[in-house]
Formats: sequence, structure tokens, C-alpha cells
Amino acid sequence: MSSEIAAGPVEQPQPAVERLHVADLHAPADAILSVRDLNVRFNTENGVVHAVRGVDFDLMPGKTLGIVGESGSGKSVTSLAIMGLLPTTAEVSGSVRLKGKELLGLSDKAMCEYRGNELAMVFQDPLSSLTPVYTVGNQIIEALTIHNPTMSKQAKEARAVQLLAMVGIPSPKERLRAFPHEFSGGMRQRVMIAIAIANNPRVLIADEPTTALDVTIQAQVLEVLHTAQEETGAAVVMITHDLGVVAGMADDIMVMYAGRPVETGAVDDIYYNPRMPYTMGLLGAVPRVDVAEKSSLVPIEGMPPNLIHTPTGCSFAPRCPLASDACLEGEPALAPVAGPAAHRAACIKSGSLGGDVDVHDVFAAPPVPVSRFDAIPREERSTVLQLKDVRKHFPLNKGALLKRRIGTVKAVDGLSFDIREGECFSIVGESGSGKTTTLLEIMEFHKDQDGEVVIGGISNKQAADGKTRSAMRRELQMVFQDPTGALDPRFTVYEVLAEPLENAGMNKADTKKRIMELMKLVGLQPDHVNRFPNQFSGGQRQRIGIARALAVNPKLVVLDEPVSALDVSVQAGVINLLDKLRAELGLSYLLVAHDLSVVRHISNRVAVMYLGKIVEIGEVDRVFDNPRHPYTRALLSAIPVPDPHLERTRERIILQGDLPSPLGTPKGCNFATRCPVFAALPAAKQEKCLTLEPPLEHVAPSPAAQTLAADPLPALDQRFACFFPDGELDEDMLVVHESADHHAP
Amino acid sequence: MTNLNAVDPAAVAQDAHLESADVVIGKNTIIFRRFMRNKTAVAGLAIFLTLTVFSFVGGYFTQWDKQTIDPFNIGMPPSAEHYLGTSQAGIDLYAMTVEGTRISILIGLIVGLVSVLVAAVYGCTMAYFGGKVDKVMLFILEALIMMPALLVVAVATSGGGEGLRRDLPSWLLLIIVLLVFSWMGTARLIRSLSMSLMQRDFVKAAQYMGVPARRIVWRHLVPNIGSLLVLDITRGVTGAILAEVAFSFIGIGIKVPDVSLGVLIGGATSQVQTFPWMFWVPLTVMFLLTGSLAMMNDGLRDAFDPSSSSSGSAKKRTALKARVKGNAS
Ligand SMILES: Nc1ncnc2c1ncn2[C@@H]1O[C@H](COP(=O)(O)OP(=O)(O)OP(=O)(O)O)[C@@H](O)[C@H]1O
Ligand code: SF4
Ligand code: SF4
Ligand SMILES: [Mg+2]
Repeated sequence: MSSEIAAGPVEQPQPAVERLHVADLHAPADAILSVRDLNVRFNTENGVVHAVRGVDFDLMPGKTLGIVGESGSGKSVTSLAIMGLLPTTAEVSGSVRLKGKELLGLSDKAMCEYRGNELAMVFQDPLSSLTPVYTVGNQIIEALTIHNPTMSKQAKEARAVQLLAMVGIPSPKERLRAFPHEFSGGMRQRVMIAIAIANNPRVLIADEPTTALDVTIQAQVLEVLHTAQEETGAAVVMITHDLGVVAGMADDIMVMYAGRPVETGAVDDIYYNPRMPYTMGLLGAVPRVDVAEKSSLVPIEGMPPNLIHTPTGCSFAPRCPLASDACLEGEPALAPVAGPAAHRAACIKSGSLGGDVDVHDVFAAPPVPVSRFDAIPREERSTVLQLKDVRKHFPLNKGALLKRRIGTVKAVDGLSFDIREGECFSIVGESGSGKTTTLLEIMEFHKDQDGEVVIGGISNKQAADGKTRSAMRRELQMVFQDPTGALDPRFTVYEVLAEPLENAGMNKADTKKRIMELMKLVGLQPDHVNRFPNQFSGGQRQRIGIARALAVNPKLVVLDEPVSALDVSVQAGVINLLDKLRAELGLSYLLVAHDLSVVRHISNRVAVMYLGKIVEIGEVDRVFDNPRHPYTRALLSAIPVPDPHLERTRERIILQGDLPSPLGTPKGCNFATRCPVFAALPAAKQEKCLTLEPPLEHVAPSPAAQTLAADPLPALDQRFACFFPDGELDEDMLVVHESADHHAP
Repeated sequence: MTNLNAVDPAAVAQDAHLESADVVIGKNTIIFRRFMRNKTAVAGLAIFLTLTVFSFVGGYFTQWDKQTIDPFNIGMPPSAEHYLGTSQAGIDLYAMTVEGTRISILIGLIVGLVSVLVAAVYGCTMAYFGGKVDKVMLFILEALIMMPALLVVAVATSGGGEGLRRDLPSWLLLIIVLLVFSWMGTARLIRSLSMSLMQRDFVKAAQYMGVPARRIVWRHLVPNIGSLLVLDITRGVTGAILAEVAFSFIGIGIKVPDVSLGVLIGGATSQVQTFPWMFWVPLTVMFLLTGSLAMMNDGLRDAFDPSSSSSGSAKKRTALKARVKGNAS
């Protein structure tokens, strides 16, 4: 079987060689990495998966190429093919030239000469790419030894220290002897970068280097990558699904879909003047953290195609709103579009998709839903959930036999907030800030909890009997982060949706009717009720999870990272659905998300959490447009925005270090160890931060506004916990990239 | 590739029909259909059922039984009077095979079912209570695994268990001993499986919906372990049948006057040359038994597995087509 397939391309080598030859003539002589007609096929049980189909690009020294696309679009396979790291089941054809030398077809041994030397790679998962049993220093030195056998031991150690310092690891000399598990995720990723740049590579490939990290840490790591590139002058291939991450650092962008590049060009052309519906959709599908104006996101319906079937027309056609019969006649080639020379798109209609075409018209984005509650002032709506001083402390024990208590983890420490009817309230914060624990405390709803939880007028303090509890359960439902894990794999969709209904005592006929209603409500085909969850895509599974939560008509739905497991284009559809349901059914949401753009898009109010406490809370536009707490400011400035101009000129606060360990929590203000304002304060004022705990207080209207208004102004809906909200920021933590240095023509 | 996320007009038009028609198929029906789609498994089931029926009613088709000696037909090959011939002692082989098959199936079914049941209860209890209970029960389990089953069987059925042997038929004794030693592996598996299941989001989702614990165990835990249980039953039945044959073969299992397939095979090995029917008939029956179970096992696994691609045959055909295309290009 496999031999037959392998024989396939060999039968017609002539045109491929010719094409390569022609391409070679056009390849710029000074390109450091030239990829031509790269094709990768995998033989799998289900057939031949054509994972990469004809990737071409040239990478100039010192430049950055961003490869963008949804999961499964072939980004990682492309990078692994260049590195020669694909498994033997892969069949690679085409040409990859590093400084004019062909890399494809080299033996593994010959490739080792280049790998880690001239070609280096940073992977997504910093956990598995470092060997746990060797010290960090050992692993850096090993990378140096392989390619510099003659280097002396001292020189290697000195270089290792220098590298660690370069990637911003404090006290690098001592840290050489640390093991990977002693480092946090962000620090491990820095070590990976240090190893990658150890031998001054000419090309550095970074495959989703920050996907597993928090935004604040992501900003740090991106900064390190930037420095590393400046120091070594390497060309970088940056692979990501997040259009924001590459906006600021890439020179060129290649958008991939179904294994093919569908649009390539300079970064500004792609972001401001996309000529291919898929790129336009992707740009319209991501919510913007810096824009208050509310408009629906652009959902790209459907799923990426199965790569087993050879496409006969444009592979995007099934999802493309502009598709016509002409699109199905052969795959459109990547052809130059009118305008800048390097801008190319694979769409027969790219000519008519100029800069003035609005993506919302192309993709028929739904109208912004209006809730009947929007017109009612917040104070007059009834409260659906109230938390009063909720605490959850975990004892921290040590020792296997005799457990000694060595401290307390204050996962949630005195939380109070309320949610009104028809409102979406979000909690944001880094991982470990206590968001999930807060949700669990609410769902737990037990008498012995520390603090009071009131759901629909029922307090946990009086919820002794089962009847009150089940009444409360009907008010409150939850949607989980991982749509796959939240559905019993052995239940059909019908059974999944029937469970809450049966539990509420509904009879068979009504249950069936309600389930059909629910399926329609969340945009699924009613005749799919007999399917098992694994027969649906991720986005559809999340819709099933939402339908289950809505089954018993709850007032409040708790959403734990409802879209973080989904692809950008699918995510937009789910967010729009949530928005629509909130308006139509008058629901309230309690949303936990790490993606602040999503939070800004869908919520009305937001709370920023840090180490179990709320540090800033208020109306979403107020908090996002005028953040007062230094942590909120840092968090917001760390979010990448899919807007190259803005990204290049933006002032960014890069927080130092990670979340402090539970044992090292400071006495006064929690945030003092990382606070950029604190670092710039004079010692006398610092004392106040270190000894007193800042209370959560209202923003006072400015004195000018107060004198102007005759009556005392009502307090604004924004509170924060900081003594010096508008203090100077420490300069070391501020980073601005001059747009000139990076983008000189 | 159709647009899966959108509700297309055709589907909307169908709605009226859907609401009235019986579109909801029960899961048991789905499992049953999937099983029936697997021809091998259905054949296995048919063979097994036939053998079982044969072992219970087969005795009525002959006037001979497993004890009566026919002094005129000693060591005769198959004939009209004795369908499968007679043994060296003049006992009808057909009657003995019917009896032996019944005993073997009985041993297999009882040991297979009861050991899985014991394992499920034991394993779930460990997982549910955790802590100290779990530790103690795990210790007992490990200790039992260490015990040499062969030795105990030998002692119980021959030397030591005199008193027992007087009161119980040897096949019952063998069942008890096999039971004691067959459930531990499954119990350990079930324990770890249900422990990890309790951590899953869908169990949490049910808890948050206010579904009572008893229902959660019954509706979420048991079915998810269930397919494993069913597979383990068929495996356990096969294992017990083979163990009986092995023990009886080396002379420590079933003792005459009780007959079983193992006793028949064991007794006939020395006479394969002279009385070949005495050897080949019980052996064939044994292969039919274990073989049919193995055939069923495969189909059961597929039917219970929600991730199996057996959602109709269309999928397979398109995959095949793609493969053909791949070859052509
Ligand atoms: N069962 C537990 N025992 C001890 N500590 C715990 C336990 N559960 C949570 N914690 C601690 O509580 C803190 C808050 O955890 P939590 O899971 O709420 O964070 P999070 O903001 O949801 O993070 P993520 O975004 O990664 O989900 C962390 O320091 C965590 O280690
Ligand atoms: S070629 Fe047609 S289907 Fe493909 S992206 Fe362009 S308009 Fe859409
Ligand atoms: S109180 Fe002090 S340490 Fe805390 S956030 Fe404000 S300035 Fe920073
Ligand atoms: Mg969490």
C-alpha cells in the first residue's frame, strides 16, 4: 500500500523539477531560507493525508515571517519538515534551501549538523522539551558542545550564564544548577530560547512559543524573543494562531488554510488590505481588546476540510460566503493581487476585495442583539447572584507520614460582588489567581462555606434541605472549558440533554419537545440528536454543552473559559451565540476567561483578580479604557492587538517574574513584588504598600468635575485597590519598540 | 463537506416532520445495530447459542447417558446407534459430550459472570471510599494475586479438601476455586478506571445539575465501565473454560464420574491413534466454544465503543475511494 503511494509522485518528476528550477531563478540570492513547493503527505489508516501542499517562501536575514492559521492547517508540519523532524511515515517533497544548500533529502545525521546550529527551534510546550533529569546548565552546555567540540569548559559555562542573562533569568549563575521542574512555564520557555540561540542560529523557528502561557508571561517571552533576534540577527519564523501575537513583530505574513498558503504579503497589506475571504474572516473573528464599540464578530461557519480528500476547487469554498460555481473549478493559484508586488492571494475574486470592503458585509455577521434589560438601569434590576466575603483557604502540608502544616494557600480571599439580571460579569486574571476556585465555591453551595453565596434569593446558609438546593440548581447552570470532557462519551446528544430535564421531573413527551427546541436554539440540526459527542466538532460540542446548561431555563449560567479550547473562527460563532442567548432569554452570565478581548466583547462588568483578591472591578469599558490599578494596566498592555501600526508603537508594561508562591505572599499589598508603580516609588511611600492592605475603593470623580456639577456626582462604577493608582511606572518595565528600527525599507 | 454548524433550510423544513416522527433512537438500539452490523460477531453469537442449546436438550436425542455402559459396543467408532461412537469402557461419547459441554459452559458462565460482578463491586467500593478502606482492600487484592492458583486447585480438589470433596461435586469445587482467583485483575482495573471517571467534567456537570449520587453512579460510572465489564465477561468465560480444560487435563480439576470437556480431552490424549473420535470431538467443541466467544468479543467492543467509526458504512466507502484516488495520482 505505502509503496504504491510512494511511487505516485515519482512517476511525474519532470514538471516538479522544472518548476523548482524556474522558482530557483526567481529566488532572491540573498535569502537565508528558501522553501519551494514543499509538500508533505502522511500515510494513515484512513488514507493519505496531504498535510502541506505547495508552501513557498523566502526568508531574508534578520526578518520575521509569521505563519498564521487554524489548528490543522499545516503550520507545525511545515516547520518540522524544514527542521527534518518529521516521522518516517511522512513523505516530503519540494525544496528547502538554507543559504543555498538543499536540506531536503539529507540524512538525519547530516541534518544534525544544521539543527541547533544554523537552524534552531522553540516548541510550544516548554514542559516536555526540556529533559527533567538534567540541570538547565547541563542542557545549555550540551547544546554548545555538540556544535563546538573544541570550546573549553569555562568558556561554555560563561556562555551559558551569558545566555541565561540574555533571556532575562535573574541570578543566572546560580540558576545554572537548577532543574527544569524548579522553573515556571515562562522561565522554561526562556531556557528553551536560550538553548535555541546558543549557537547563533541564522534561522529561528518558533512554533506557538507562547500559547501555553499567561498573557503577562507571553509578553515577557515575546520580548525575550525580540531581544534574542536583535542580538543574533537571526531570521525568525513565528508560527501562531493568534493574529495579535505576530502583528507587532512580523515583517511578512503567510496565512495557511487546509495545508496551503492562501495569502502572503507584507504585514500591513495582510492586516489592512486582506484580499482573501478567509483572511478577512479571521481578522473579523477576533474581538478587539482596545475597541469599545460593539459589533458582532464574524463567524466562519463550518469546519476546515478533511485533508484526505484532494480538493477539486477552492478548499475554502464550503465556508466562503462569496463562493460561486467558478470557485469549484480547480484550486485557485496563489496569484499576485493589484497593489504591492509581494502581496499574493489564492482567490479568484481577490480583485474585487479591496480595502473598502467591510468584512461584516461579506460574512453576514448577525446584528448586535439587544436585551430587554439593556434599557433598565442596573440598580433597578434584581440580583441573581451575590457573594459576600467568600473565602477558600487550602492548608499547605509537607511530609508524607506526619503532615506538618507549613502555610495556607489563600485561593480565594474575601470576595464580594453581585450580578444583576441580564448582565454578563467576568472575572479575569492570570492562572493561579483563583478564578476557577471562585466558580467551584459558587457551584458547591454548601452551608459550611466561609462567606455567603446568595443565588436567586436563596442563601447557602439556609440551604440545608435538598429541596432548596434543587431549587437553586435550577437557577444556576454551568458550561465547562473542555467541551469534550464535559459530555459523557457514552451518551447520545439526546441523553445528554434529557438528563437535566428528567432530573427536573419532566415527562417524556415534553422532554422530547424541549430537546428539539434546544437544538434549534443553539444552532444544531435537530436530527443530530442520535449522534455521540465524538461525531461533532469542538464548536458543536460546546454548543451541546450550552444547550444542556439552558435546558432547565436557568437565570444564571456560569461559563468557565467557554471558548478557550476552540479555534478562532469557531470561537466567534460561539461568542455570538452566547451574546444572542443572553439578549433573547434574559440570561445572566458569570464568565471566567483569560482572553481579555473576549471578556471585553461580551461582558458588561469585569473584575480583575490577583492572588485570590479583586484588585479592580467595574463597568467593562471604564476598566478597559481607564484602568487604575497597576496590575490591570499591565494586563491590558500585555494583550497583543491585531493591528500592526498600533502594536509597533504601543507602550508595553512588562511585569517582572511570575505570580509569587503562596508562601511568599507579601504582607501589605499582594502585588508589591511585581508592581511597576511600587518599583518607582520613593522608599517612604513604598513602606505604605508593604504594611497596609489597600482597600477596594471607588474612583472619585475628578475635582474639576465635582466643582462643575451642582449636585454631588454619583460614584462611578469602578473600584480598585491601590494606594498610588496614577503613580509613575518604573522605566525598566516599560518597553516601546520604535517602529523605525524594525521596518526600515 | 456540508456546512455543519449552520441550520440549513432543508433541515428547517424537515422540522415539522421531525417533531412528530420517532427520530430518537435509544442507545440500546444503537448498540444492538452496531453489533448486528459485525457479521463475525453475529456468527460467534449464533455458534455459542447453538452449543448452549445443544448442551441442554442434546441429551433427549439419544437413549444413552454418561454412565450406562453398552457392553456390545466397546470402543466403537461413530455409528447409527452411537452417533459419535463409544469410549474404551463402552460409554456413549455423544452423551458424554453433551454433558461435558454443559459443565464447561456452566463453569465458564458462572465464573465469568460472578468474578466480574465481584470485581465491579470490589473495585467501585475502593474507588468510592478511597483512603484507608482503599488501602486495606488493595493489600488483600495484591496478596491474592501473589497466591499460586495452581497449588490451591490441586490441594482443594485432590489431597487436602477431603471433607469438601465428600459434600460437593468436583465441578462446583472447581468453580469456587476458579472464582477466588479470577477477579483481582479486573477489580484493580475497575478501581483505577472509576477513580479517573469521578474526576471528569461530565460527572461534575451531573452533580451541579443536582442529579443524585446513586443516579450518577448508575448512569455515568457504570455504563462507562460497562463496556469493560461486558468485554471482561466474555474474556472471563473463555478463561474459565480454558482453565477447566487445563486443570482437568493435568488431572487436578474435574474428577470422574463428573465429565467435562477437559476430562474428555485429557482422557483421550493417550489414545489419539486408536480411538481418534474420542479426542477430536471434545476438542472441536472446545474450539467452537472459545472461538465463538472471541468472535463475539470483537463485535461487542466495537458496539460499545462510542468512538468507533461504525456509524454506517458510508464512511468506510468514501475512505476507500480516497485511498484509490491516492493510489491513482
Ligand atoms: N485542592 C487544592 N489544594 C491546594 N491548592 C489548591 C487547590 N485548588 C487550587 N489550589 C490553589 O489555589 C490557587 C488558585 O487556583 P485556581 O485553580 O483557582 O486558579 P485559576 O485562576 O483558575 O487558574 P487557571 O487559569 O490555570 O485555571 C492556586 O495557587 C492553586 O494552586
Ligand atoms: S476562490 Fe471563491 S470560494 Fe475560494 S475564497 Fe475566493 S471567493 Fe471564496
Ligand atoms: S498599593 Fe502599592 S504595591 Fe499595591 S498596586 Fe498600588 S502601588 Fe503597587
Ligand atoms: Mg482555572
